[in-house]
Amino acid sequence: MAAIALAGLGARPGPTEDHRRPSAYRKAGLILAVIGLMGATAASIGNLVAAAGIDAGNGYRETLAWTFGLSTFSFGVIKIAIAVILMGIIVRLWFRVDAVRESLHRLRGHPERPTPTGVVKTDWGAATVTDDIPKPLFIHRMARFMWLPMLAMGAMALTVGLVSSWVWAAQTPDSEAGRQAAAVTQGVEFLGEALLLSGIAFLLGTILAGLRDGGGEVQSDLGLPVTTLKMPVTAKVFVALMMTGMMAGMAQFVLYLVALGQAGDPASFSAWSNWLGPFRELALGLILAGIVLALVTIGNVLAFQFDRISSIIRTGK
Amino acid sequence: MATTAQPRSVKHNHERPTPTQRGDEFTTVSSDHGLGYNLPQKMGRAFWQPMLAMALTFWAIGFVLAIIEAGTGRDDLATIQDLSNLVPAFMFVGFLSVFAAISFAVARILGAFRKGGGDVQETVGAEVQTLKMPLTAKAMLALMMMGMMVMAVGIALNLVAAGEYGGITEADIVDNARLAAVAEGLRRLGVALYLTGIAFGLGTIITVLRFQAVRIRELAASHGRNN
Repeated sequence: MAAIALAGLGARPGPTEDHRRPSAYRKAGLILAVIGLMGATAASIGNLVAAAGIDAGNGYRETLAWTFGLSTFSFGVIKIAIAVILMGIIVRLWFRVDAVRESLHRLRGHPERPTPTGVVKTDWGAATVTDDIPKPLFIHRMARFMWLPMLAMGAMALTVGLVSSWVWAAQTPDSEAGRQAAAVTQGVEFLGEALLLSGIAFLLGTILAGLRDGGGEVQSDLGLPVTTLKMPVTAKVFVALMMTGMMAGMAQFVLYLVALGQAGDPASFSAWSNWLGPFRELALGLILAGIVLALVTIGNVLAFQFDRISSIIRTGK
Repeated sequence: MATTAQPRSVKHNHERPTPTQRGDEFTTVSSDHGLGYNLPQKMGRAFWQPMLAMALTFWAIGFVLAIIEAGTGRDDLATIQDLSNLVPAFMFVGFLSVFAAISFAVARILGAFRKGGGDVQETVGAEVQTLKMPLTAKAMLALMMMGMMVMAVGIALNLVAAGEYGGITEADIVDNARLAAVAEGLRRLGVALYLTGIAFGLGTIITVLRFQAVRIRELAASHGRNN
């Protein structure tokens, strides 16, 4: 049952579903985001309390260990909230496709001559004009398949990391066991973060796939040649950054496991931690940079589609 | 060769938009022309690129400093203490920039809906109805600004600690640890505020999509061929 429910997430709504109905995804996502923000706020307050108590005899490391775990877990909750809202956007984009298709049948102008097929230049980049709807790109098929497993694995890793942070907090500071718990917590939590961000990136890829399919469906249904934007440079760089970031996110986890072997030597472990911390942040940063470019691509595709809609209304082609 | 129309660059003499009585949950204003981008959307279009470039630059600097820190002798406490503050400061200027770039990119998408929706209605020859800025969009702006300020204070504390403490005396080490704990808490709260703001921005897109699906059917009913 749960598997069926999960498979239905972000799926195209049926023809009888009401497009006026408020989005349950939006509501659930916003509530989840606020819960995540509350968790992160509690962790930050924990840091301030620890800072006030730190002295020569007590570094409050146990407090800082659980606040690290809680804040990173809370970021994960907000990222899941973002993913839920993105699922809602996918559903709403299909409602938009249905609305535009139905409406354009009545609003379109009368074409004087048919549009020739081939490659055309637009203000948003090169586009192809074809008689049929173009087949989905490999990356789009992959995005549709991968977003849910990525989110599920990310959520599991973050939960393991949260529990691990409690183990870390219970260890004696500066002990070998404490260093081992620190390495496991940081590696697992940032693996979870990287997987969640990758899931979000795949959801954005799914949105781009939906825009491409939906645009083709509307034009084809009107009996028009299908004008489709070619994959823009921003989309190609998005894929490259996302993949690099995801691999770096997995690599940092493996490297933290390697650092576990150094836990008996405080100086060596400290040197490893010095560069592994920024490396894991860089991994997330690369995925985030890819997400920026995915959002920019979505903005460009939408602008192109609005122009196509206006053009069909004005000229009928 | 077919080309799409150029985006409008001609400025219209707009009459002041007036509130629309729609009779449903959508709060809109009516005008004779599309309203184009609002200020946050114009900022989004202008700033996403510099912010992304800034993020990549600061991450590169932060990571190089981290490698230098890892290679520094463990007995050189002053250098290690300085670098342990500078590395997170640079890395989080990168995060501050990339979250700003994401927020601007979301605003840019909302701009595409606002301008595109207006243009379609104008092309049909109908009264142009534009959604007033929803509460979630206002929350996005507020959370983004709070996130930026909180994170900036955390980064500033790291820079102060890097300049202030030599890392030699016990008092220096304790003061540095205190400041580092506060800075970390603030930086992470800033990230959470930014992420929540992004969630609210994306929630606004759902509202806009809902409105536009309703509106284009209204246009077909009022201006379509069978009328």
